[in-house]
Parts: sequence; structure tokens; C-alpha cells
Amino acid sequence: MKKIALSVIAATAVALPIFIGENPYLIGIMISVLMMAALSSAWNILGGYAGQYSFGHAAYFGTGAYSTLILLTLNNSLNPLFCMAMGIIVASIIALITGSIVFRLRGHYFGLASIAVAEIVRLSVLNLEFTGGAQGILLSDVSLWGIDLNSKNPFYYGMLLVLVVTLSISQYLRTSKTGYYLQAIREDQDAAASLGINLAFYKNKALLISAALTSILGSLYGLYIRFIDTSAVLDLRLSIEIILTAIIGGVGTMWGPVVGALLLVPLAEMLRSNLLGDVLVKAGLVSETSGIGVFLKENLAHAHVLVYGIITVLCILYLPKGILGLFRRVK
Amino acid sequence: MIQHLLLISHVSKHFGGNVAVSDVSFAVEEKQIFGLIGPNGAGKTTLFNCITGFFPTTSGDVIFDNKKINTLRPDEVCKLGMARTWQRVKPLGSLTVLENVMVGAFSITNTTREAEIIAREQLQMVELTDYTTKSAGSLSIGLKKKLELARVLATRPKMLLLDEICGGLNHTETDIILDIIRNIRIKGATIVFIEHDMKAVTSICDRIVVLNSGEKLAEGTPEEITNNSDVISAYLGGGHHA
Amino acid sequence: MSFLQPLLSGILTGGVYALAGMGMSLVFGVMNISNFAHGDLMMLGMYMAFFAFTLLHIDPYVSLVLIIPTAFLFGFMVEKLFINRVIHHPHQNQILLTIGLGLIMSNTALLAFTSDPKILTTTYSSSAFNLPGGISLSVPLLISFLITGVTIAILYLFLAKSRTGMALRATSQNREAAQLMGINVAKMSAIAFGIGTALAATAGALIAPTYYIHPLAGHSFLLKAFTICVLGGLGSVVGAGVGGIIIGVVEAMSSTYWSTDWKDVIVFVLFLAVLLFRPQGLFGKKGGE
Repeated sequence: MKKIALSVIAATAVALPIFIGENPYLIGIMISVLMMAALSSAWNILGGYAGQYSFGHAAYFGTGAYSTLILLTLNNSLNPLFCMAMGIIVASIIALITGSIVFRLRGHYFGLASIAVAEIVRLSVLNLEFTGGAQGILLSDVSLWGIDLNSKNPFYYGMLLVLVVTLSISQYLRTSKTGYYLQAIREDQDAAASLGINLAFYKNKALLISAALTSILGSLYGLYIRFIDTSAVLDLRLSIEIILTAIIGGVGTMWGPVVGALLLVPLAEMLRSNLLGDVLVKAGLVSETSGIGVFLKENLAHAHVLVYGIITVLCILYLPKGILGLFRRVK
Repeated sequence: MIQHLLLISHVSKHFGGNVAVSDVSFAVEEKQIFGLIGPNGAGKTTLFNCITGFFPTTSGDVIFDNKKINTLRPDEVCKLGMARTWQRVKPLGSLTVLENVMVGAFSITNTTREAEIIAREQLQMVELTDYTTKSAGSLSIGLKKKLELARVLATRPKMLLLDEICGGLNHTETDIILDIIRNIRIKGATIVFIEHDMKAVTSICDRIVVLNSGEKLAEGTPEEITNNSDVISAYLGGGHHA
Repeated sequence: MSFLQPLLSGILTGGVYALAGMGMSLVFGVMNISNFAHGDLMMLGMYMAFFAFTLLHIDPYVSLVLIIPTAFLFGFMVEKLFINRVIHHPHQNQILLTIGLGLIMSNTALLAFTSDPKILTTTYSSSAFNLPGGISLSVPLLISFLITGVTIAILYLFLAKSRTGMALRATSQNREAAQLMGINVAKMSAIAFGIGTALAATAGALIAPTYYIHPLAGHSFLLKAFTICVLGGLGSVVGAGVGGIIIGVVEAMSSTYWSTDWKDVIVFVLFLAVLLFRPQGLFGKKGGE
């Protein structure tokens, strides 16, 4: 039963671009959904399994994107996959430094330090010259093995592949020693330590896996969008969106992040593109030139973050285990 | 020569200006059941925390199996074959009973399959097989104590430190736990256990150390301890009747 | 002389940081919650001072008389309506709730006041007080430092002498014990959050005449407030006071001797260095937990 469901989902995901191939806008949204699902799944390995909430995962995403684009603008003939690997190395170094400082400590420090590290990365990129500073980086042209990277479809499949890899790692971890250990750490650190679990080692391991996957997604995004600046790939808001996606779907569950992304990304897109306003106008409920119509048109782009805030609060108060938490078998 | 499995040598632990444990020494021999008793606040749990690596000692040494362990982390101490339970039980709440015990078993195996086999054996030993798929957080206190026992046993320890494993249990439950402890000893493990209730301790221990206000008050066989006038007055003074 | 100038300006700015840090530390101590909405509460204080000035023509420093009670009530209500309901939840959920509340505050401000920065210009905004040796001290910074001093003194007396203050400190030391002693810890949480909010808003109002007022202005202050709290030892109100001054001086020094662009980076590196070398904070006793 489960296998059939999985095969149907996989087949749909693979075939989707064929059906909507003519519509780059929809493909774009699907790429965002896949990316957010993968980002949130990667975060979930650390936050959901090990209970170590990172509030600064944008640092690893941005590191991947920046490393790749900086290298390619320096030398266009480099293999993008090599640049991606370089991104993983830089992200891993940042993760190891963060982990070795914070994971010796108990309590609230990791969350705080993860933001501090993310801010250090963001401000450094903003202030340095080789990173393009406030202007950001523009990549003119790129190719891989003769594949046309100007079209969106390769990136759809690229994101899908990374999502599948991330979910597979999640699934493998859940049923392996490491996964059990991470969950033990989440539940009770003293009990975990007394049962022979090296807390710092396993937390660092989870952080490294999570950071590396996040960095790969950053590289892919950089190649896809080909223009990045700090507000796009290193902002605190991105870190929060990643967490929120997991929370809404169900933290610590394998499919929670996917469910969260399927809900949140289209919602954000609707708000951003003033779809709500358009619908209200078309339905004749609001006139386009009336005060409300103009207000919606001008402000809904900002409003999507406000809506995120409201969803966060409601979710924590009424649905702290997320949507999948509702359906979980009661033990 | 007698083999000391655990040697506590002049251990002190201070918190700021407070002396929780002061210059305590004793030795535990292999396959002993060793009792650590004393009124509330005597420093028993603090001493456990020092032995198992949760607190660094202020001075003194802890030698286990001929290795100095008071500078090691808790997980390293566990890997050497010393496991502990907690006075306030610490179940991994959202994991199942079986998964809880598997976490313990992973300290001696790397594969999930073997961990599950070991865990099931231990659950059988403490008679928890009916609860394998229940979440650990939902168990009653008595069952949680059994779960703690199964979980540490899954690490196959040479020495077990039990912190008030019978606390909060009724007579039948206490008897079941004491039986399990006797069984563990027969299988070759050494046991140190903290208990409040003198009766439980004297019925099972080979040797007892009494702590009072962080200091060692007396040491001896259960008989010597129950007849020791210092111990009797400490217990009466502390408001605890034996 | 050039050394004294950044030192003195740093101390003056640091006073305001101290205020923000103390508010956060008080909340942390009493409720054991890291309040990620603290920066946004500061931002609200900035706008309150701005509108009191432009609409009611009240001097920003005088408007504190209105801002402090309003902010206290606002914080008290926020605690009762939201925070209170997650007080026994996992720590991460509490953080997320305050992040959500912060997002609501900052983005509502964005909708209501637009993203254009506002500037509050008083007659004395750019005037300075000249000391011998070529040192000049900005008048608004000087006034805000004096008000900070008075506020801290009142806070200190309140915590040390009043019944409520003592109950707050007891709750901070040991919540369970305080509850057993008959202290209404739920009420103490609401009061602590109210005071924390009032202190944040005061800090916001005090810097309003010298900063750009912007809906997202709170974010950089949030991280500073965290740094201050960790520097002073999480939960230590006195430590946060000293931590604030240190951060102010570090910022002023790095702006003078290196670059304004990098001053925030230096503050965050300092934060990590404290975690690495002295995680209990400069004045904390307990480490780790």
C-alpha cells in the first residue's frame, strides 16, 4: 500500500513538467516547492530529529549559492558540480566551527549562536568586495554536459533529485543507530549521555549532514536564478521560512516538511502575486480602483511575511505537532 | 589480592561555597551489591553524578576497573561498562518502550537488528514485553522504573548504579525490582544502589556506606550498620525512621 | 584624545543598549524564555516616540511618561494572551512563538507606516556638548544616558525593595520553590514581560532622535540584546547592564579604529568568543545549563 502510494507520487513528480511544460510560471512555483521541501527536510534532520533548532540555516544556503557563483564568474569553464562541492566544503567548515563552539554547551545557546553565525556570514558577504557586496552577483552563462541550463526543466529535476536524496537520508537515519541517538538527544540529553551517547559528536554529525545538503540546494538555486544578493539567499527570513515549513507540516516526521512546503509556497506565491486581490476584483467584490483594491495591490507583497507570522503563532498555539501530528497514530 | 572494581578516593564536591560531598572514600568489590544510604541532602546523588561524569569532582579520584574516570564524560564512563539510572526517571518520552531500550543496546552494537534483539531480551527480563509499542512517556511510574532498568541493562554494564530505583513504588513492585537486581548479580554485574528505605537496603546489600551532610558516617555489613548508634541518631535526627 | 572620544560616546550609547539588554534578561530570568520579539518591541517604542512628537508635539523624552505605562500594559497583555500558553512547552516552541509575534509586529508596522525610514528631528538633535580636549558629546545621547541611569536606579530599587520586586527575583532564582512559597508565578511572568516590554520601548524611544526609525529596525537590536545578555550571564539583570556598556564601547571603538561596516560583525564575533571562553557570562556563576 505504502509502496504503491510512493510510486504514484514519484511518477507524478517526474511527469509533472510534461503536463505543465508550456507554463514556465507554474514550473517556477514547483521548483520553489521542491526546494523548500528539501531545505526543510535537511533542517529537520538537525531540528526535528536531534531537537537542535537552527535559526540560521540561510548561512549554509547562501554559502552554497555564493561559492558556486563566485567561482563561475571567476572562471566560466569550471564544472558547476565542482563549484557545488566547494560550496559544501565552505558550509561544512562554518558548521564545524559553530558546532565545536556551541555543542559543548547545554540549553539555549545553539539557537542564539546559529543566528549570530548567520549574521556574521551575511554581513561579511555584504561588506567584502569579491562577493559583490550589496550589488550581489550576476552569472551570465552556464552549462553542464551540454544541457541547456537556461530552461527551467533541468532545475526541476535537479531539485527533485536533491529532495529524494534528502528524504532517503532522513529515512535511513531514522532507522539507524545515528537516528535513534539523535532522537534520544532530543528527548533527554542527560539520559542520552548516560547511555553512552557522545552528545557533541552526534549533534555535530547531524549539523554537518544538514548543512551540506542545504549548501547543495543553495548552489542549485544560484545556478537556477543566476543573480543573488544577501537579501535573497542569506536573510534571517529565509531561515525562519525553512523552520516554519517544517513546523506546519510536522517537525521530526519524514513527510512533514514536504506537506509544509506544498502548503506554504503556493500560499506565499498567491500573496506575493496579489492573486487574492485579483480574485476579489474579478469576482466583483472589490473595485480595482477603490481604496481596498489599491491597498491590496500595493501591500500584499509585504503581507506574505505578516501572514507567515500569524500562521506561526496559530500553529504553535493550536497545532504544535503540525498537520502530520494530527494524523499520527496514538500510541 | 581483592579486586576493587570501583574505588572512591577522597572525593569532594563543592558548589560555590556549599560542600555537597566531603572527602568520601570507599571501595566496591566485584559482584557485590553495595548500598549507599543517608538522609535527604546527604550527597548521595551528587556522588553518583561525580562517579558517572556528570559533575567534575572538586578533589579526589574515582577509579573504575583500574582506570581513573573522574575526568571522563558520561558517555565515556558508560562505554567503560558503568551504567546508571535516575532518581527522577528520564524516559525518552516520545519513543516507544522498545526504542528506549534499543538506544541503550546501541552502545554495544551498531546494527538496528541486533539492537532490537538485545532490547527484547532485556524487556523480557524486566517483564515489560506487553508494553513494547507503547510510548515511554505514557507509562506509570513503576513501569518507567522497570524501563530504566531494562535500558541500562541493554548496555551490558559491569557495574550498575541505581538511584532510588524503588522510590515511589509499592511493596509488590519493590519486591519485583529487588528480585531483578538479585538476578543481575547472579549474571555477574556489580551493583551500587542508593536507597532511602533502610529495609530494602539491608535485605539485599552485602555492604553499606552511610552518608550524612556530605560526609561518610559509617561503613559495614547491614548488621553493623543497623546497630551503629551514629547511624540511628542521624536517621532519627533527619526525621527518617528505619 | 581620540581614544577618549569613542570611549565616551560608546558608554553613552551603551547605556541604551544596557536598558534593552536588561529587559530581555529580566524576561529570561523570570520566565526562562528567549524573547525574539524584543527588538520589535523596541521598534514600537521608536514609533511611539515618533508619533507622540509629530502628532501630539510632545518631546520624545517627555513622551516616556506615556510610553512606559502603555508598553507595560501591552507586554502584560501579550504575555497573558500568548506567551503564558506555551510556558510549559519545549523551549523551541516558545522561541518560535515570539518570532511569530515579532513578525506580526514588524510587518504590521510595515503596512501601516510603509518602509520609508522616518526621522525624528528635535531642536537639539544635532547639538553637541563640547568638553575640553576637543571631545564632543551629542546632547540627545547625553540626555538619554541620564534617563537610562534614572530608569536603571528605579528598576534596581523596585527589584531590591518592593514586595513585587522580591517576588520577581525569587521566581527568577527558582520557579518551583517560589510557587511553593505562595508566589503567583503566572502573575510574575506577566509583570516581568510587561517590564521587559517597557524597558525595550524606553530604549527604542531614547534612541529615536538619533536613529532612522524603520519597521525592521528591531532586528539588529535583537541580536545586540542577545549578545549583551550572554555577555552578562543569561538572566542576570546587573550583568546585562554592564554588558550593554561593553557592547556600546566595542562598537564605538571598532567604528573609529576600523570601519563602521564591520562593527556588528565584531559584536557577533565577541558573542561567539564569550560562548567559547566564558559561557556562563562575565558575571554568571553557573556554567553550561
